[in-house]
Formats: sequence, structure tokens, C-alpha cells
Amino acid sequence: MKTLLDVQNLGKRFEGTQVLNDINIKVTEGEFIAIMGQSGSGKSTLLYNISGMDRPTSGMVLFGGKIISKLDDKKMSEIRLKQMGFIFQHSHLLKNLSIRDNIVFPGFKAGRYPRDKINQMADALMEKTGISNVADHDIKKVSGGQLQRAGICRSLINQPKILFADEPTGALNSSTTKDVMNIINKVNTEGTTVIIVTHDAKVAARADRVVFLMDGTIHDQLKLGKYGGENELSREKRLSGWLEKQGF
Amino acid sequence: MKWMLVKNDLKRNKVINFALFLFMFFSAVLAVSSIIMATQTFTSISNLYQTAQPPHFLQMHKGEINQEEIDEFMSDYDDLTYWQTNTTIAVYGESLTVVSDNRTYNLSNSQLDIALVKQNETRDLLLNSSHEKIALEEGEIGIPVLLKETYGMEIGDHVRLTSNGVSKEFVIKEFILDSMMNSTMASSTRILLSDEEFNMLEGQVGENEYLIEAYFTETSEASNFQTAYENAELPQDGQTITYTIIFLLSALTDIMTVFVLLLVSVLLIIVSFICVKYTMITTLEEEISEIGTMKAIGLPFSEIRDLYLYKYRALAAASVMGGYLLALLISSLLTKHITATFGNNRTDPLAIVLSLIGAFLVYLLIIYYCKKLLNKMKKVTVVDALVQRKGFEKDQRIKNGLYQSKKLPVNWLIGLREVFFQFKNWIIVFTVVLIAVVMILIPVNLMNTLEAPEFITYMGSSEEDILIEIENGEKLAISYENVKKVLENDGTVQHYNEFRRVRVQTTDTEKERINLTVDNGVNSGAELQYLSGKAPGAGNEIALSYLNAEKVGKGAGEQILLYVNDNPQQFIISGIYQDVTSGGYTAKAQYNFSELTAEKYTFSVNLHDQVDERDKANEWSRILGGAVTVHPMEEFINQTLGGVVKQLRMIVLASSIIGICLTILITVMFLKLRLAKDFSEIAALNAIGFSEVDIRQQYLIKTGAVAMTGILAGIVITDVLGERIVSSLLSLSGLGINKVAFISNPFIEYIICPGLLLVLILLVTWMVMKTIQNYNLISNINK
Repeated sequence: MKTLLDVQNLGKRFEGTQVLNDINIKVTEGEFIAIMGQSGSGKSTLLYNISGMDRPTSGMVLFGGKIISKLDDKKMSEIRLKQMGFIFQHSHLLKNLSIRDNIVFPGFKAGRYPRDKINQMADALMEKTGISNVADHDIKKVSGGQLQRAGICRSLINQPKILFADEPTGALNSSTTKDVMNIINKVNTEGTTVIIVTHDAKVAARADRVVFLMDGTIHDQLKLGKYGGENELSREKRLSGWLEKQGF
Repeated sequence: MKWMLVKNDLKRNKVINFALFLFMFFSAVLAVSSIIMATQTFTSISNLYQTAQPPHFLQMHKGEINQEEIDEFMSDYDDLTYWQTNTTIAVYGESLTVVSDNRTYNLSNSQLDIALVKQNETRDLLLNSSHEKIALEEGEIGIPVLLKETYGMEIGDHVRLTSNGVSKEFVIKEFILDSMMNSTMASSTRILLSDEEFNMLEGQVGENEYLIEAYFTETSEASNFQTAYENAELPQDGQTITYTIIFLLSALTDIMTVFVLLLVSVLLIIVSFICVKYTMITTLEEEISEIGTMKAIGLPFSEIRDLYLYKYRALAAASVMGGYLLALLISSLLTKHITATFGNNRTDPLAIVLSLIGAFLVYLLIIYYCKKLLNKMKKVTVVDALVQRKGFEKDQRIKNGLYQSKKLPVNWLIGLREVFFQFKNWIIVFTVVLIAVVMILIPVNLMNTLEAPEFITYMGSSEEDILIEIENGEKLAISYENVKKVLENDGTVQHYNEFRRVRVQTTDTEKERINLTVDNGVNSGAELQYLSGKAPGAGNEIALSYLNAEKVGKGAGEQILLYVNDNPQQFIISGIYQDVTSGGYTAKAQYNFSELTAEKYTFSVNLHDQVDERDKANEWSRILGGAVTVHPMEEFINQTLGGVVKQLRMIVLASSIIGICLTILITVMFLKLRLAKDFSEIAALNAIGFSEVDIRQQYLIKTGAVAMTGILAGIVITDVLGERIVSSLLSLSGLGINKVAFISNPFIEYIICPGLLLVLILLVTWMVMKTIQNYNLISNINK
């Protein structure tokens, strides 16, 4: 498998504190990685630095073989728009747009396909995530779970190579969490690379590999293999035992 | 405890609280300044008038007078308390040369009629800046403030008078406040000499002219007196002015400035309240869960409201106090012109008291408004606040449909859709731009109108190249023949119209006999702007000026009875026009009142294209001598309206600066508030791939679209209401104009002004949006 994301000796200093230190990680195409760690361990900072939303103070990030950690805002935005997808803890949809409009506008902006086709793609995504019935609704009129699914649809509209998710289920109940993770797993099995930051072991158990951060460095990694749905419980047990060893 | 909460809040929401502070602060500064200026204007004028005692009726006269006849008439007139005749010596500007430390200059370019005078005994006094009667020694001279301001004269400068072979040098001892002639609109000005020197120069350096002044128990008696005076055939070869006109001419400039300042402060208070509302609602929306929690733990509504009110009280008190102090500090700057023109440079205690009351009212108004807004919290339930996070604003319906767009770029779609569907959010910028456009365009259009050559037709004159007037009674017939001869024999004259002024009588609304001066001639009234009806035709038709029509209470098409040498004769009013000449009381007719003696002749002359009007006027003036005045029409307009245009130019400049500053200030503050509110959305946009340039472009589109809407609305309002506002102000001024159609310059109104404002707004938006680079995207996305 080809390496999609290559993080080399990445460090981040913030207001005098070294938040991340000498991080090295390679992510192959189609891989699903979960980043875990205690609060303040630098999980989200790592995600933001490898996704080009923030700039590392040392080291470099290569995406598809190109250094992205030194690109200017315009070029980096272009990569984020066309090749990366983002899911946040809160959906961060634009409040003046309907669910459907929120999903299609990054597609219109990227301009890869004619707008009619983008609308068809949005319909298909909403169908897949089960929010077709609220497509034309105001975002204030739908539930948190529906909003998060809409956020996922938005992140996928430009068919990204990689999907970054920062605590995507942090504000959801367990049943909605399961639904959302099913969608993310499906997206991954269809070929999209996924990197997720979570503190929830059940969510992390869906990943191929779990990276554990401690005090800004990679403390350990656990390979779980591809998630198939049937071996869920044993993966969770294995992960829990490993996490216990990490002191989590 | 409450103070701690306020302190914490002030620290936490620095931008919003600072913006609130500024809005309240500027409201207070403007309200207090306008109160101080208004009070100072009126008290200074009334103090000056009390001491100087200008006449209630003034008749200027060139030529001989018989004082005994005047005394006889005056002593017989009831309600007359005092009268006097002042002798003045008319001198030309070129006779006066000023020698100061570093330059020597001549007053030949002065448009004012200059008269040398001596001090009166008790009334119509010329005063110094402390409102004291000026007494001069030999060799000393008192120069009017008007000339001091025009030429920059200083105390101690030397003034050399050279006329008719007499030469005399004076030292400027005082700058004088002239209660009657302190405005450029007065067209005359008085220079004070010592009694001895005045007596010595009388009859030597210029012709004598007289100011016949009368005082009554009631100033309103002046207009009845004027009719009686004119009928008594007393000296009247010159302007007649009544107390009201004196007051208006003197104070118009400052009253207009006060008016503009008051208008601006009211507008700013409105803008400020919109901003207060916006910022308060924004803050409360953000704190909705805290409000919900307080409600949930059982705090009564009044206590929660007071918690917030405490902060707004503290903010309002600090800003109003600060504003009051600043207004006091800058008041001397604002009242500089008033002090220079009317003296009395101490701030009147009344101004202090009234401005304190004004500041307190602004404070109360702010608190009342805050209370009203905070009452919205009452309707928010705990469930709304904590579970549904529903705020104070009614849910705005989202218009679905961006996905249907086929071509428009996404940044335009996002920007325009927000402005279109959420216009309410942008109402502040819209209102401010609209106000700025109106504030700038109305004075600009008015100035353009006054400067346009066509405007002369509002003033009771036709639009020709040269105006010739013969007013001197004794030489009237000879001068008339001379003018005719010159015009007939001059090849440069294309055509000319002559008008002969006669006096007839009619009755006013109270059936009292009044005088009516009628300019008759073949073309009389043909080129004027008519408010109603048309120019008089041949036969018994007459057109009346607006003020005369008001006086007789008749309109176009009605009949009017004129007494021609006491013989009643029926006329039809063909039309009503506006006029600022002769105090606004004129009439026009083609009918030749041959049985009446002419009082004045006017010739309006049109020259061939290549002829220079100024040169020709100078040439004729030399040939025709002092009894005939020859003005190029442009000069005539400048003389009559020069002062107003000059002042208006200042107002245009001031209102443009205020308008532009207001727009910039509010746009910056609004955008700062918007950014604070929108930051997590901006961060999300940036995260999903919209660059800072894209985001900046979206905001530029939003502010640009709102600004263009505001500009368009401003232009429409200026075009629809501007003329009405100006017309009603002018008709209040009693100048004889009650309807003005703007003669606007489309290039300035539709291109320069809107373009400049739009560019400035976009520039400011661009600069404010540049600051998003400095914010931490990540910290905002997790908010």
C-alpha cells in the first residue's frame, strides 16, 4: 500500500510549552487510525498539524509525497477542500443554510463536477446517512445526530482521499454514536483513509490501528486489523486491556 | 459581588463592551455639544442684541434727506419709541489699504459695500467682543469682524484711506461686532471712526448715505410701519430691512450649523441605539445557558435583569460622563464662530445647566432602552435556554435553495444570500450608509443648486449676462436715458429687457392696504420659475412673488384689486413665483402703469458669446457713473448668495467628513462585533477549505451589497425628500423661496459620492478582515 500521509519529526511549541515532540507516523492509503490519549496529551493538536489546519514548529508533513506543512493558506486551503474531509465534535454547519445547502456548497466551491452532479452526490450521501427526510430543513430544526451526519456528508462531498475527525461522537448518545461510526467505517471500506481522535474506546476499536499519545509523544501503537463488525466485542476487550497498560 | 461580575464581564468581552462604550460616548458628546452650541448661539445673539439694540426698521438711502420731514412723520406715528438717522460715508474697497507687519493689501476685491461711520449714542451700537460700546480716539479705527476674518487683519495693523485726493492713516484698535451687518448676506459693512475724524472726512472721501432707523414697542409693527413710511414719500433710495430679516441674516449661518449638528446627533443616537440593541442581543444570546441556569436555580427575573442592567448602568454612566467632559472641552472649538461673530466668549451658565440635563437624559434614555431590551429575558423559559438553546430573536426562516444555483461562485452565493435573507443582521450598516449619503448629498445638491446659473431664476431675475439697476431718485430719468443710449449703441449687446418698477396698492388678508412694487415690462416675469400658474400675459395680468401671494392670501387664477393712484383696477393673478430680491415682496406685469412714476429701472442684458461680461460691466460702470449699478450676473449671484455658498461649502465639507467618519467607525465596530460572533463559523469554513482570501471576499460581498443598498436608498431619499426638507427650511427662513428643485450634478450625486463611500467601506472591510490572520483558528473551531 502507498503511504498517503508521512509525518516526520513533528514538533509543536505553543506559548512556551512543547505540546508535541518528535512525532513520526506513516499512514497508508485506506488505513483507519484512531489517536487516543489523556486530556492534554496533544491528540487534537496532532490532528490539526497533520491536516494542515495548524503549522508544526519543527519537522514536516508530507501528503501524497508533497510537503504540506510549509504551504501558504491559499494552497493549503485548496488541498483541504479537494483532498481532505473534516468532521468536528460539533457539526459547525453554516446557520444560514439548509442541511442540503450546507452539504453541497463545498462541492460547488471545489468545482470538480457540474453542479447537477454534485446535487445527485449529496442526495446519495444523505440517503446513505439516513437524513434525506430533513434535507431541506433549517439546521436549528434537526437533532444533534442528524447534524453530525450532515457534517459527515459535507466532509465527503468532494470525495476526499483522507477524512479527519476530531471527537466526532463526543456530543452524541451511544446509539447515535454507533450509527455515525458505522457510516465512517463504511466510508473507510470504500477506500477513504480515516484518522480519528477520540477518548472513547468503543469508537477507537473500529480502527485498524490505535496510536496512544502521552505528553506529546507517541507512547505506543496497537494494530487491530480491519473492522468487520462481527468481532466487535473481542476488539474492544483487546483494546481495553492495552489501554489499561498505557494507564488510560 | 455585582461589581465583580461587571469587572469580569468587562474583561471577558472587551471588544463588545468597548464598542458599546464608544456608541454611548459619541451619542453623549454630540447631544451635549449641540445643546451647548444651540444655547450659546441664542444667548450670545440675545446678549449682543440687548446691548447693541439694532433697529426694528431700517431704511437705507442714497442722496439728500430732509430730517425735519422724517422727524415729523416719526413723531406722529403711534407705537414708535425711538428713531435716529445715521450718516455714513460710502467708500470703495480700493480706497482702503491695510499695512500689516509682513504684507500690504487692498480691499478692492471686497464684494461688500463699505461705509465709514461714527459711534451712536445709545442705540445701534458697535461693540467689542466683551459687548462694550467702543470709543475711539483720533487715528484709531474699528474694523468689522467680517473683514477681519476675510483678510486676516490684526490689532495694530495700519489702514490707509485714500480717496478724492484725501489720505489718512489709522491704526486698528478694535474689531467690532455689528449686530446688523455681521454676515456676508448683509452685503454692507460698517467701519468705525472717531467722531472727530468722521466729521472731518464727511463730504470729502465719499458720498453720504443714510441709515434711517426706527424702534417700536413691538418688533412686529415694522411691516405696517414700512407701508406707512413708503406712502409718506420719505427717503427710500436703498434697501429696507426689518428686525426679522436682520436677525435671520446675522444668525442664519450659525443656526444652520446648530441645526446640522442637532440632526447629526439625533441620527447618531439612533445608530447608537441600534448598535446597543445588536450588541446586547448578541451578548445575551451567547449567555443564554447562564441565563437559563440562573432561572433554573430560582433567581427571580428582576434580579437576573438587574445583574445585566448593573453592567449597562456602569457602562452608560462612564460613557455619558466621559462624553460630557469631552463635549465641554471641545465646546470652545465649536462655538468659535459664534464667539467671533457675536462676542461673549464665556460659556453661559444656562448652557452648562442645559447640557447637564441633556447628558442625564441621554443616560436615562440608554437605561430605559436597555431595560426594555432586557425584558425580553422574561419570555425565555428554562427549557428554551438550557435544552433547546433558543435565544431572544425570533427564529428566522432559512431560505433553502443555494443548491439550485447554476453559475454564481460560492463566495458570492454565501455573501449575497446572507444579505438577502438575513438583512436584519446588517441593518446597522445599511442605516448608517443611508444616513451618510443623505447627510452628504443634501448639502452637496443644495450647494450645486445655489451655484448653478439657472438658480437665478429662483431669485426673481432672468438668466442674462449683465444686470443694470438704476435706483437713484433724483437722477433716475437721466440715468435711464443714458443706459438706453449705451445699450442701443453697443454692438456687443445681443438683446436686452428693461423693467420699470412702480408702486401700487392692494389689500392684505386683513383688508388692510399694503404697497405692492411691480416690475413691468414686455418680458417681465417671463423667465422665472413658477410655483403655480405662468408668466403674466398682455392685459390685466400680474404675477406675484410667493411672499406677496401669502400676504394677500390669493393664488394663481384669482382676481386681485390693485389701487393705481387710488383708482381701483381689477387684475388676474397669472402665477406665483419665488423671489429673494427686495425682501421677497415683488410682482411682475406686462401691463404698463404709465400713470405712475418709476421708482427703479432694471435692465437685463445678454451679450454676444465672445464678449467678457466682467470687462463689459466695468466699461459701462465707468461710462454710466455712480448712480447706476452694473453687475455681471455671476457677481450678482455671488454677492447675494456668496456668504451662504461659502458657509454651505463648509457644511458640505463638515457633513461629508462626519458622514464618512461615521460610516467608517460604525462599519469597523460592526465588523468587529460580527467577527467575534461569527468566528467559529469562519474557522469551520477555513477548516473545510475556504482560504482567508475566500472568507475576506465573502465579507466584502456582504458589506458591499449592504452598502450599495444603503447608497441607493440614500439617493432615493435625497431625491424624493431632500428637496422637501430644504424647501421647508428655506421657507421657514422667510427669504422668499419655498420650493427648490435641486439642480444636481449627476456625476457627483450618482458616481463620485456613492463610489467614494463604497470604496471606503470596502477598504475598511478589507482591513478589518485582514485581522482574521491573527486569530487562532483552532481555538475558535472548538468554541
